[in-house]
Amino acid sequence: MKSENSGKQSHGSSDSSTVKTMGIDVGSNFIKLVLMDYSDKPVLLDKHTEKIRKRNPTQVADEMIRSMLDKHGMDFEDVAYLASTGEGDLVRRKRGHFYGMTTHSRGANFMAPESRTVVDMGALYVRAIKISQDSKVVDYKMTGQCASGSGQFVENISRYLGLSIEEVGDVSLTSSQPEVSSGICAVLAETDVINMVSRGIQTPDIIKGIHISIANRIIKLLSSLKAESPIFLSGGMALNKGMAQALDEQLVETGKKFIISTHPDAIYAGAMGAALWGGYRHFKLLEKKAVSI
Amino acid sequence: MDRLTEIVKKAETLAFDLHFTAARAWKQSGDHRVLVGYLPIYVPREIIHASNGLPVGIMGAGDRKQIIKGDAYYQSYICHLPRGIIEMALDDNLNDMDGFLFPAICDCIRNLSGMFKLSSKGKFQRYFDYPQNFDPAIGGIFYRQEMEKILADIRAINGQEANVEKLNHAIGLYNRNRELIEMIYSIRQEYPWRLSGLDTYYILRAGITIPVEEHNAMLEEVVDLIGEERGEPMDNIRVVITGSFCEQPPTGLIKSIEMAGCYIVDDDFMLGSRWIQGKINNTSKDPLEALCDAYLNQSTFSSAYYDVGNPKGKRLVELVKSRNADGVIFSAASFCDPALLDRPLMQKECDDSGIPHINFQYHENTGQFKVIKEQAGTFSDSIKLWV
Repeated sequence: MKSENSGKQSHGSSDSSTVKTMGIDVGSNFIKLVLMDYSDKPVLLDKHTEKIRKRNPTQVADEMIRSMLDKHGMDFEDVAYLASTGEGDLVRRKRGHFYGMTTHSRGANFMAPESRTVVDMGALYVRAIKISQDSKVVDYKMTGQCASGSGQFVENISRYLGLSIEEVGDVSLTSSQPEVSSGICAVLAETDVINMVSRGIQTPDIIKGIHISIANRIIKLLSSLKAESPIFLSGGMALNKGMAQALDEQLVETGKKFIISTHPDAIYAGAMGAALWGGYRHFKLLEKKAVSI
Repeated sequence: MDRLTEIVKKAETLAFDLHFTAARAWKQSGDHRVLVGYLPIYVPREIIHASNGLPVGIMGAGDRKQIIKGDAYYQSYICHLPRGIIEMALDDNLNDMDGFLFPAICDCIRNLSGMFKLSSKGKFQRYFDYPQNFDPAIGGIFYRQEMEKILADIRAINGQEANVEKLNHAIGLYNRNRELIEMIYSIRQEYPWRLSGLDTYYILRAGITIPVEEHNAMLEEVVDLIGEERGEPMDNIRVVITGSFCEQPPTGLIKSIEMAGCYIVDDDFMLGSRWIQGKINNTSKDPLEALCDAYLNQSTFSSAYYDVGNPKGKRLVELVKSRNADGVIFSAASFCDPALLDRPLMQKECDDSGIPHINFQYHENTGQFKVIKEQAGTFSDSIKLWV
């Protein structure tokens, strides 16, 4: 696992020592916000995650931005570029929006520059993205219409079983006899889980079974993409220890030789990518302006 | 609610009123008034206006009507527009129309004119053909005769004569209409954040359901309002959308493209209202000749328009350059032969000129835009980051 801050795009010789950019990733469940110094060597200055719950995402985003700016004694005008990603149309006052694959690739490249594939494990789907050395999207595959391979599904199941989403990973690690559920359909998988509960299957084994079915789905995605290693896991589920272990085990079982890594800030990959591309665009626009003058 | 928002809201209501309430009210408020429904793309609305008629654009039912009977009239490999329109006709949405014009676009529209004739919808149903020979002595005479047939059709209903004075007055009104629309496009070219592409669409589409005098007043106000700074500029790419000249894209599609980071700086959504480029002579002693001359020499380009001497691909490239656009989105209705057959040639012209492009297809009632949003989003990113 690498956390080196590199992979910055060239933007000419302008003085960038005070350029601050923000990236905001509006997901289905969480909003992720980062503040970065887009200097010669970009640095992550601050990060914050907020669960939307049943609130208005636009207001939540506004409050998060305001609060982070206040914390750093900054005004909105001090931000060179506020970039959104995800459901970014809900963000007010943004300067630009970047598509999720573009930002996750850039964020992964920032945290682990050698990555050649990114697996974005979000709330509603899992997406495998093949990237070039400079984080350009080369190809991608994503899970189909069913949400059984997604973070939201894991959260729903954990709620049925009386667990918080934070507990799921550790509980999964204690499993001794995992019971695998349907990996194709969320409805069938939920029926499986109800059935397992009525059969007296232990909670850790149910959770581990879910993780295994998702892991198998990810491996299928990676195989069909002809993914190249190293593979970087991003998104909310990347930090789920149970999920990571299930993936490692299934790779061994299926004989796939993928090298997988992640990063403690993996959930911020989209937001970081947005902030980094925002910085790049800021300088590109300055250059354009200079040329036109 | 600010004034521009009010206007846009009103325009949206007018544009998608499948009962044409405003047009019906206009007809009832005077004697000898006729409503003439016309399909995409272009008809010379001036001659209808001069005959005490109101040309009413029938752009399809969009996603606002469930098609049940319409599917029985067309095979599954035919576009959605005609089945929506026949559904409207069979549901009596078009009963107040006195006549119908079916401009020559493709065989589907030609067949639709036959269906209207067989169903006895309106007092006249005319397939309106256009010249493919641009010699005034040949194509010009042909086109004049086509217009004279329409004048006769209307005269047979209301007995009104479209004299020189009335024709020139109508030409003047529509000259102003096109001029105001072009002013909106010019302002949007410089400041696209002041009025979204979707709002522009509502405003233009409203214009084909109300008298031109009312639409001109609406446009004048919009031009004034967007002449002042409003909204916030974004780091978006600038695109030209082409291929949507007949069956209209669902509004969700336009919105998705904009949300994906694209400013739509030109399009062919309401092409009929912008068909003639520049002014038509409104002081002529022979206004029909002025209209013929404008059609032969001042028409814009479209896949439904035959013009060998002035290739569409080159004109598209010129448009992209003049609008300072970053790329082209080829957006055509599924099964739209004219748009889809022209697409490879136009794409080649774009390739030869180094203009990036993407393409997709839609139905007027498409409800899912996730894939289109992804395509437009990645297109926007690729231009912003890699071009």
